[in-house]
Amino acid sequence: MSQPLLAPDWQPELDELALRRAQSVALGGETAVAKHHGQGRLTVRERIDGLIDDASFQEIGRLTGQGRYEDGQLHGVTPAPYVMGLARIDGRPVAVGGEDFTVRGGVSWSGDRKKGGQGGFVEDLAHQYRIPLVNLIDGAGGSVTSVQRRGHSVFPGVHGFERSVQLMGEVPVVCAVMGTAAGGPAGRAILSHWSVMVKDSSQVFAAGPPVVERSLGQKITKEELGGHKIAADVAGTIDNVAAGERECFEMIRRYLSYMPSHVWELPPVVMVGDPADRCEDALRTIVPKNRRQPYDMKRLISLVVDRESVFEIQPSFGRAVITCLARMNGKVVGIVANNPAVYGGAIDVKAARKQTHFVELCDTFHIPLVFLVDVPGFMVGRDAEAAATLREGMRSVYVGLQASVPMYTVVIRKCYGMAGMGATDKNGLDLKIAWPSAEWGSLPIEGGVAAAFRREIAEAVDPRAREQEIEAELRAMASPFRTAEAFGVEEIIDPRETRAFLCRFIDAAQGRLQTTVGPKPRYGVRP
Amino acid sequence: MAMNEAKSEVTGSVWKIVSEVGQKLAAGDTVMIIESMKMEIPVIAEDGGEVVEFKVAEGAAVTEGQVVAVLKD
Repeated sequence: MSQPLLAPDWQPELDELALRRAQSVALGGETAVAKHHGQGRLTVRERIDGLIDDASFQEIGRLTGQGRYEDGQLHGVTPAPYVMGLARIDGRPVAVGGEDFTVRGGVSWSGDRKKGGQGGFVEDLAHQYRIPLVNLIDGAGGSVTSVQRRGHSVFPGVHGFERSVQLMGEVPVVCAVMGTAAGGPAGRAILSHWSVMVKDSSQVFAAGPPVVERSLGQKITKEELGGHKIAADVAGTIDNVAAGERECFEMIRRYLSYMPSHVWELPPVVMVGDPADRCEDALRTIVPKNRRQPYDMKRLISLVVDRESVFEIQPSFGRAVITCLARMNGKVVGIVANNPAVYGGAIDVKAARKQTHFVELCDTFHIPLVFLVDVPGFMVGRDAEAAATLREGMRSVYVGLQASVPMYTVVIRKCYGMAGMGATDKNGLDLKIAWPSAEWGSLPIEGGVAAAFRREIAEAVDPRAREQEIEAELRAMASPFRTAEAFGVEEIIDPRETRAFLCRFIDAAQGRLQTTVGPKPRYGVRP
Repeated sequence: MAMNEAKSEVTGSVWKIVSEVGQKLAAGDTVMIIESMKMEIPVIAEDGGEVVEFKVAEGAAVTEGQVVAVLKD
């Protein structure tokens, strides 16, 4: 006689799953979360929710952690201090993860497989699916207590950066430093295409104040050591600074809006209804007649690109050059503009480093570059030489020569020397257009006359007058129109035509850009 | 009465002082002009105020971030 069929009862297992999930949502527990909130900080789950499209988080690894058992019965789970998964930003999939500071300060956790932070599942996800990676960093890295736990010390690189490095040529990587990052998490922040930190509530350094005091006897606060004034403004270790966590999420979304999902496609086109042939009369008068007077290059940029489309990278570092992502007729472009208000736009070591990184970023993601040139050359002087301006400057020239995206040179005023050459597309079409205010050469006339005509000036009845006379003669010959006669510069335009001209060529380059998608080769030895 | 400092953004030399002690400057007015890399870089009174004191004279060398004048609200 057969038994009546009963539906199998999995309720106890489903109850256990619910309990385990609830433990994961509770993070480090009420007390730890309240303390974290009390410092004006969001939890990692709140951060992920604040960053991504509504209800788009598919978490992975919710059950990881350390179970607490009594007589074989589960009493609770301390979750692993890392939360991650798949999400969407502006409708596009992204891999996102972050340390949970409320569990043991977000220190690394040893399971069978890492969730993220330094390699791990979240980085594998970005690599395998070719989607951007966003790291929300809030951890102090390894702890010496792990020696006690394991019974041996771990060789550096057991959880290495190999995947993190690989991602740099494949998908956009954003690192946001949300708290204090030292050691591995600080290093991870640097292995990114773009990084951001939160003003007054985040710091980043190789090692924190206790290690610094022990090693060097220096007493220093963590804000003095690695707050935004050092890490972003002075060192350029981190690119941008957000006023608060919410603004930080907005900036990440904004940055990613300029990026393709991976290097095998072009960035998204977003039309804002700004006519490609818009002319701005203000461009005619923006450059002063007095060539010693600076002007507002940021305003010039905003008059040329699609309205409201400027996103500046590293605004507080290396300010002699301005680097920003923007759009022209909907297509993403990278703007490299010299800033005449900072050392006359001369490229110092910081500006060179900034330009190198930005050119490489744009080249990697197939973003055409527009150089708005007003550069007297590399920075001069003892300090500049001691800082290796020449080497860092030549590195920016080298990287520019290896880049294969279309580049457009618009000479606004000065274009001199090696720094000027670094703003051209020598391996490409080498299209150089100039405003009537433009001037160029191997070095500025006023610096060169005294050296080149030394004897003639010295032997003159009135040496000062003779020097000025020679300067005037040479300056007349230096008119940009004479170079245009020789086709040494391809066009001289009315400044108001700048936008229309560039939009026309950037539109025309789209077909060619589609033929060069994919990872960019890097070869040779950078100087 | 809050005092605020006007700083040179660049290393260079003081080319021309274009304001006077006792003069009331509006926000954005020029205090003096620094010559650097053959450029005239203005020192701006960011919040405006009355010029109390100049810390440098014309021709003096200045370094980046150096206080060149003191203003009061």
